[in-house]
Amino acid sequence: MTWLVWRLYRNQAYLAAAALAVFAVLVVITGRQMASQYQSALASCAVSHSCSTLASRLTLGTPLLSFLVTLTVVVPCLLGVFWGGPLVAREFETGTSQFAWTQSITRGRWLTVKIGWALLAAAAWGGAVSALVTWWSSPANALNQQNFQAGQFDIQGIVPIGYALFAVALGVSAGALLRRTVPAMAITIVVFTFLRLVIGQDLRSHYLTAVTIINRFGHHMRTPTGSYWLVSQGLVGRAGQLLSAPTLGSGLAVNGVPVSEMPSVCRPLAFQNPIKLIPCLASHGYRGFFTTYQPASRYWAFQGIETGIFVLLAVALIAVTAVVVLRRDA
Amino acid sequence: MTPAIETRGLTKRYRKVTALTDCTITVPEGRISALIGPNGAGKTTLLRLLGGLARPSGGEVAVLGGTPRQNPAFLAEIGFVAQEIPLYRRLTAEDHIAVGAHLNRRWDGTSVRQRLESLNIRLDQKVGTLSGGQRAQVALALTLAKRPRLLLLDEPVAALDPLARRQFLAHLAEAVAAGGLTVVLSSHLVADLERTCDHLILLAASRVQLCGDIDTLLAQHQVLVGPAKDITAIERDHTLVQAVRTARQQTLLIRRNGPVIDPAFEAADVGLEELVLGYMGQAAQPVPAHLTTVGEDQ
Repeated sequence: MTWLVWRLYRNQAYLAAAALAVFAVLVVITGRQMASQYQSALASCAVSHSCSTLASRLTLGTPLLSFLVTLTVVVPCLLGVFWGGPLVAREFETGTSQFAWTQSITRGRWLTVKIGWALLAAAAWGGAVSALVTWWSSPANALNQQNFQAGQFDIQGIVPIGYALFAVALGVSAGALLRRTVPAMAITIVVFTFLRLVIGQDLRSHYLTAVTIINRFGHHMRTPTGSYWLVSQGLVGRAGQLLSAPTLGSGLAVNGVPVSEMPSVCRPLAFQNPIKLIPCLASHGYRGFFTTYQPASRYWAFQGIETGIFVLLAVALIAVTAVVVLRRDA
Repeated sequence: MTPAIETRGLTKRYRKVTALTDCTITVPEGRISALIGPNGAGKTTLLRLLGGLARPSGGEVAVLGGTPRQNPAFLAEIGFVAQEIPLYRRLTAEDHIAVGAHLNRRWDGTSVRQRLESLNIRLDQKVGTLSGGQRAQVALALTLAKRPRLLLLDEPVAALDPLARRQFLAHLAEAVAAGGLTVVLSSHLVADLERTCDHLILLAASRVQLCGDIDTLLAQHQVLVGPAKDITAIERDHTLVQAVRTARQQTLLIRRNGPVIDPAFEAADVGLEELVLGYMGQAAQPVPAHLTTVGEDQ
């Protein structure tokens, strides 16, 4: 059966390998340039004691290549559409499942080997792209410390492997249910994009309870370090309540503190004389500023949790596929 | 000896339609059975049930003494060619031979090569670029390479021109003559299969109308031609399958229960096509079956 899978999909495998090779060459060449650019910038800023503001002055790489690397966010979806969607749907559509299922092997074996290789290939390919992107991004990660940012988090580390497995499982299950290739591909794009957005935007920040730092006025300011993920920030009110403008469109805010929450006397200071703002707020009983965030040290925990979610979804979809294919008539 | 195929009350329902109703048939080993019926009669459904590609909704089915299922031991004994002759279009015949070698324990790739070479079908050409007839030949040769004990072919000759049709059926007859093989092949045309087959399963409107040895069935039936008179006596003694009446004359197809003694009627032997059309006509107008009337003179 493995032989048949190879014979049927080897052209796709060659194409994927060639595309990966081209991408790898680009990434390695430019990645090395960026690494040396970053190292020399570090060396010169150390001399002039200006490394703390290096991130605002230095741009690594070219915008075009950064765009290309950012585009790898669609790789898992493409794998789901082109490898997952047709995997069983094409055979139902052309009737070749009837040829395969009347050779001396069971449907279970047929399905296991096909899905197994597709998932393995997707994990390997998605993983290889992600490894290249992660390596390529390491100077930028060190410089900008924005590893948690959507668009960075989503294309680095191990989550792309989870996405790729899920996308392929989604394509296969859609194909098994619909028995048509093109609709299965379309469903894959829609469902994958929807779930990725929902999980990325609404669920991800809740994987672990965020940490809150409260900086009382007049005390030494403590700030989170490294590539932390800022969840919210704002003002600690008279009763110790946290006042923040977590969403856009809720009015003017200074450092996350909604201007509307400030006493009217202090409000103009926020724009005219920020240095006097704090004493003004303190004199009205406000206690300090707060920052709620996910610490940088949780990066891999978050990667692991998100990967786990998508792997579990993939497992569920494969189970559905198995039930559908084994129970239903050819 | 166990029959190659035995079903009792076999029924297959899909969501809204019943594709096969209460099908009871027996096909002894070593026969070439013609599965005849109009389009939509349930031929494909029956073949798929026999090949284990579909599950019955009711009734029993035994193929080569066992239940058709997804089990390598069962599948090794079955050859199946679906109606649309599904092969991997981008693969060559040689590739398919290799596929068969990987997916079957018993496999005779040499026989496929010999067969296709004798038909001048190129082994290194993608099967998607072969003609429909050539593809059917490739599919049959591949199926025979499994050395199956039962071959299920769904409208195998539909795609073939008359010459290829004859070659294909001759090849099939050869394979059966070599022994150990039973064949069921479907068609909606009797003429295609008359030369080759020695057993008949007639399906119409999802039900079995006739099943048995062709010579026996022909011997059991008779055509009576006579004046347009009352036939109550004939109907009492025999089973009337179809009556075609004009103002002065009527032609009756009957299943005999003994000799016909009415001197007003002239008895003649029935041909396979006549027999099949008679039963199909009966199924098309089932109520009341014995009053089927064709002709404009009332």
